Amino acid sequence: MRAVKSVVVRLLARWETLLVLAIIGAGIWSWQLSPFFLQRANLLDLLTPYIFTGLMAFGLAFVVIAGEIDISIIGNMAVSVVCFAQLFAAGVNVWLAALIGLGISTVLGLVNGTLVSVLELPSLAITLGTMAAYGGLAFVVLSGEGVASFPVHYTNIGGGYIAGNQLPIALFLVVGAAVVLGLVLHATRFGRYVYTIGSNREAARFSGIPVTRVRVTVFAISGLMAGIAGVDYVGYFGSARADAGAGSLLDVVTAVVLGGVDIFGGAGSMLGVFLAFVLVAELRNGMNLANIQGDTQDIVIGGLLLAAIVAGNLLRAAQAGRIRVGPLRLGRKEVVGQEAAEAVVSSKLATQNLKGR
Amino acid sequence: MHRRKLALAGVVVGATLATALAITLSAGAGTKAGYKIYFLPKTTTIPVFTQNALGAKKAAKELGDTVTYNGPTDVSGPKQVPFINTAARQGYQGLVISTPDPNAVAPALKRAAARGVKVVSYDGDTAPDSRIIFVAPSSNKLIGAIEVQWAYSETGGKGEVAILSATPTSPNQNTWIKFMKQELAKPKYKNMKLVKIAYGNDDPTESAKQTQALIQAYPNLKVIIAPTTVGIQAAAQELQQEGKCGKIQLTGLGLPNDMRKYVKAGCANKFGLWDEQAFGYLATYVVHNVIAGKLTGKLGQTFKAGKLGSFTVAVSDGNKPVVVLGPPLAFTPANIDKYHF
Repeated sequence: MRAVKSVVVRLLARWETLLVLAIIGAGIWSWQLSPFFLQRANLLDLLTPYIFTGLMAFGLAFVVIAGEIDISIIGNMAVSVVCFAQLFAAGVNVWLAALIGLGISTVLGLVNGTLVSVLELPSLAITLGTMAAYGGLAFVVLSGEGVASFPVHYTNIGGGYIAGNQLPIALFLVVGAAVVLGLVLHATRFGRYVYTIGSNREAARFSGIPVTRVRVTVFAISGLMAGIAGVDYVGYFGSARADAGAGSLLDVVTAVVLGGVDIFGGAGSMLGVFLAFVLVAELRNGMNLANIQGDTQDIVIGGLLLAAIVAGNLLRAAQAGRIRVGPLRLGRKEVVGQEAAEAVVSSKLATQNLKGR
Repeated sequence: MHRRKLALAGVVVGATLATALAITLSAGAGTKAGYKIYFLPKTTTIPVFTQNALGAKKAAKELGDTVTYNGPTDVSGPKQVPFINTAARQGYQGLVISTPDPNAVAPALKRAAARGVKVVSYDGDTAPDSRIIFVAPSSNKLIGAIEVQWAYSETGGKGEVAILSATPTSPNQNTWIKFMKQELAKPKYKNMKLVKIAYGNDDPTESAKQTQALIQAYPNLKVIIAPTTVGIQAAAQELQQEGKCGKIQLTGLGLPNDMRKYVKAGCANKFGLWDEQAFGYLATYVVHNVIAGKLTGKLGQTFKAGKLGSFTVAVSDGNKPVVVLGPPLAFTPANIDKYHF
């Protein structure tokens, strides 16, 4: 009996479980607000307008887990989108143009990564700078103009539907991306390195992890995902402009932090980020169906972000057996130390295991 | 193992709950007489749209319709898309939209139309194939030209001119600026020189910053034309703070309520706008007639819009089919107290 109880407690204490409960709760609330919420077509189409924010959140998760931040992703996506659009307008094949767009966003991510890791500069300051620079660059490339009329075989990737015109094709893109990136994060040596670096960079360096290379790579992943988000964005909205994605950073960062990723690095899961992305989209959809005003919606989403930061801090303290109310911050630091030590050891073991095979 | 079983149990409970909810879902939403109309502005954070919505609600009251007013907090076409989607899901018969991004809302509007929603655009037009009729406040050429004429009369036709616009991607702003340049190219304006087009992004703080930059960079500046209600108010405030009222003239498009105290302080003596409530009122009459099947977008069709009188579906600025509200009103210290919006 005691064993069952402890399993229940541990399961309940898992962030992902809480997110699933929150999704169910928000579903009931939305259904109470509007009878249209539970229509199958609505449930299937609920994520579609927000998928580009989810794709960016998956990439950003790597950066945050590694203990950094990348706020240049919206500007990065805009540059990728306008370059892609200009190439397409100039007659380049749409898929080739999209591929070049992905290449550009990856390079922009590499620029961030190099400045942060090789030159050892703070990521908040660097990506604040590149956020402005990339945003400006996008306007240089496409000025105030917009490019539209992309071919249907391309726009289907973001805005097409199958199965009786109800199942969005982009749903496969977002689930597929979550699975692939989840595997990279949770089932590879590289992923383990990301956690270790986020927990304690010095310890990671001393244990022989190629810290600089890994840190550059997480920014490149974030850049690439901004590019993929751009491909989906242009597909769904059918319009490429220099202000693409403007005002979406709140939703992206909320998905990452609400997803249980520790804003100080070292903890988080791709499943959590995916669930949080679903929760944010579900809430926005439910509130829209109930005709709740846009400003009220922003208050709810912003409140959720704050609640997630506070609750995440409490939960991590609880998991480490430090539920006693007190200097939480102090408790957390010690936890980080412990986790880091464990992570270093386990990463070494993992490395050895891999070598053994 | 236990953990997995529990997780499974959780999923089963969740699924059962969801199914139960789906079954108990009643389809009986009370049906009222009249049409359900969704009124979607570029953003709900700019007061002009609230004025449009007040006019829309007056029209709906006369027609026995209901109007829902909602939209995003950012000026963004993509952020309007979820509102379009959910309006269609809720079974609205009509959608009135003003958008900053004509192409980004087009696919969603077409999906809504396929579900039976009649789409009418106003103020910021959408891609022509995604709406039935566009309701324009005035002709773009007239709006652009009249603002330059106001600037002329305020400065005596001499000196440097700057434009304070909203975002560089806003189609109606860019169209008006194009016509301002055309007007300025006429020989009458040979002593007026356009020195700068600044962008305040329809944000009060950024618009004030841009105004300050204009004052500093162009010491001989004689007039600022701000064809945006957000920009002109921020510019008036900035001119007052810098003690430049009367030295630099201010004109453009503004709301009487926003501008009243600056007019009284002598910081703006002539600016204009169409009647924003009448604008929303007219758009609602148009969408009502479209839902009723009386308007299909054919040129030459006529209809009566309540107290505003008769209108004709026509071509305007090379755009069609369009219903035009009329020429802008000019506000001056003499008449501003007659207007309250």
